[in-house]
Amino acid sequence: MTSRWQHLGRWAGIASMVAASGFAVALPAASAGATNKAHRSAKAAKGALNEAIVIAYTGPVSFEGAAADAGVYPAIDEINAAGGILGHKVNVVPVDTKGDPADAVPQVDKLIATTSHIIGVAGVGTASAPTIVPILNSAHLPMFAFAGEAAFDHSKYKYFWRLLPPDDAVGKAMDLYAHQEGYKKVALVFGTTTGAQSNLPGILAGMKPTHEKLVAKITVTPEQPSYRAEVEKLVAAHPQVILTEMDTATSVTFFSELKQLGHMLPIIGTNTEVTSTWENAVRKALGTSTFNKDIRVLDTVAANKSPATAAYAKALKLAKSKVVAPWTGWVGNSHSQAAYDAVVVQALAMTASHSVTPKVYNNHIMTVTQKGSGKKVVYTYASGVKLLKAGKKIQYVGAGGPINFDKWHNSFGNMEAVKINAKDNTVPVKTIFEKAILKIG
Amino acid sequence: MNILIQTIGFGIVSASIIAVGAMGFTIQFGLTNVLNLSFGGVMTVSAFIIYLTEQQAGINVWLGLLLAGVGAAALTVFLGKTVFKVYARRGTHLFEMVMVTLGLSLVIEYAVDAISRDQVYSISFDQGASYHIGAVTLSESQIIIVGIGIVVFLALEGLLHLTRLGKALRAMAVDPGLARSCGIPTNRIVNATWLISGFLCGVAGVIYVINSLSVSYTTGMLFLPSVIAAAILGGVGSPRGAILAALLLGLVTQLVAAAGLSAYSSMAAFGVLVIVLLARPSGVLSAAARKVELTL
Repeated sequence: MTSRWQHLGRWAGIASMVAASGFAVALPAASAGATNKAHRSAKAAKGALNEAIVIAYTGPVSFEGAAADAGVYPAIDEINAAGGILGHKVNVVPVDTKGDPADAVPQVDKLIATTSHIIGVAGVGTASAPTIVPILNSAHLPMFAFAGEAAFDHSKYKYFWRLLPPDDAVGKAMDLYAHQEGYKKVALVFGTTTGAQSNLPGILAGMKPTHEKLVAKITVTPEQPSYRAEVEKLVAAHPQVILTEMDTATSVTFFSELKQLGHMLPIIGTNTEVTSTWENAVRKALGTSTFNKDIRVLDTVAANKSPATAAYAKALKLAKSKVVAPWTGWVGNSHSQAAYDAVVVQALAMTASHSVTPKVYNNHIMTVTQKGSGKKVVYTYASGVKLLKAGKKIQYVGAGGPINFDKWHNSFGNMEAVKINAKDNTVPVKTIFEKAILKIG
Repeated sequence: MNILIQTIGFGIVSASIIAVGAMGFTIQFGLTNVLNLSFGGVMTVSAFIIYLTEQQAGINVWLGLLLAGVGAAALTVFLGKTVFKVYARRGTHLFEMVMVTLGLSLVIEYAVDAISRDQVYSISFDQGASYHIGAVTLSESQIIIVGIGIVVFLALEGLLHLTRLGKALRAMAVDPGLARSCGIPTNRIVNATWLISGFLCGVAGVIYVINSLSVSYTTGMLFLPSVIAAAILGGVGSPRGAILAALLLGLVTQLVAAAGLSAYSSMAAFGVLVIVLLARPSGVLSAAARKVELTL
């Protein structure tokens, strides 16, 4: 009996060692495994094209991956249902950057080296963009970025496109909304992440023209057990409003402690906060009435009644098994709308250029998005293809509204302050016009 | 001045949370010499137990704390007996054992990530009335957290110095071979240590969540560096040292944050660790260098 157990113990030891060391290596590489799987399935389908999603699926900004999926998969399914792009079916290749510039580079190198027929990239995310964008640009791959870094406001990357407002524009919009609400004394509470910090230059630039006074500027290390000292410092500064961007766990702790002290204040957040994870957790921490009363976030103007939004909602519902539940939470999400529009724009540009070669169709992206005389407005891929085949010129108006790229390939339009209702839908409160944002400089 | 006094109050609350974890960590590390990085994973599990019991099943939070402690103790004993012991018997050395604990920690962390669907869960419960102690305002739950820290410290001191188990544990920590020769049932002592350490790990995870009001799969791993820092700074195997070190780390973190340098608070705390260990390599309350062999 003893020897039998010793024998078993030896094998248990070997198995445990293999499991422990194997998991340590295998788990972080799980995303790479997913990529390989997608890659293999792409190769299996003859003539198929690949749309890559290069974004964080794990780590502190993993919400970006969920938002990208909620846009890309519905768009790809819709395109394939309409016959594909110039007869080619399209697959999705997800690549996890972990939101880390160092982790992102080898993943992108691997993608380019091992995946054939990549037509474009959706969702180059915050933090990893500065290292990834030059690589993708050198590979002549059109990319539609989530990254809000101001460095891309006037960049000369030919293949870089952005359908979301840059972070400094969001910062200025926050100032303008605070000003319109009559707040004069402003506190800034931002996390240490790149995405959060990149809002600050815009906010600080917007304070002078809006005659706001900065009474407290607090930078918080994410996910600490308590922020009582920071909260006390904030309260002692007597602000009228808090402008903020923090991850979910940090927001829950910080705002709960603020509420516990009986000093709840109006809070203006960024569109990063328009995720069901953030909304649910913070709503639960603060209580629904406080959440509804005090929380506002700046988001791009969603074309809620546009046929494109309806088409997106329909495609999203059909692809609901491929996106993070609940699928309804993504219908009004500006990031997922941008990802959806990005894929449709690429597909229409390929159709317009009669080529699936990225280097060729990249020059036709403006052709299918900008206003122009004689152009027919289209809201779906299928209707766009139909008109293009008939020799017509088109202007695609997306789920996120009209697209108007500037010469640096940025398009964001008006923004709006929204509140979030109990069903995770955004309800517009006030519009902040693009002209006013740009006027700040 | 008021902010300074308030900050000291918050520092004591933070220190209490760190101290409970550090005492659990140090008592196990002091005896077995296993730098158990899976401690953070177990802490995360206990944090989710309180979420499930208190938020989903509606069980009283303090009863939930006990359940989470018991659950964490059971998991720790299981790991100690099934994994660590097998590795130790096969001659695994200190560094390899650290890698095993790291692997286990990742297994637990990613399993919780998958089960929890990568979500952050908010825990909302009544924090109780606010009490004004001089310039410091603390909620009822924060005062209870400080009380838990003190009770755990006194209980551990009592256990180590007033019971046969404690004497056996201290004897084993000094010389396990000699302790075994003297008839001390070393296996049972090691199991008891895993049990106590696991229970305190679970309690630490729960009071961390009670204070931060959110839980995710990274909860334990983010908290673990502070726990290990306090355990090492205090002198391995010394609950007194752990509580002193936790107090130092908690106060430094909060004071730096109150000075408007919140982003540097963790850096400052670990800076203190580096400087103190330079002066006292064995920690503040450890007299001599330790024997470094696995005792399992």
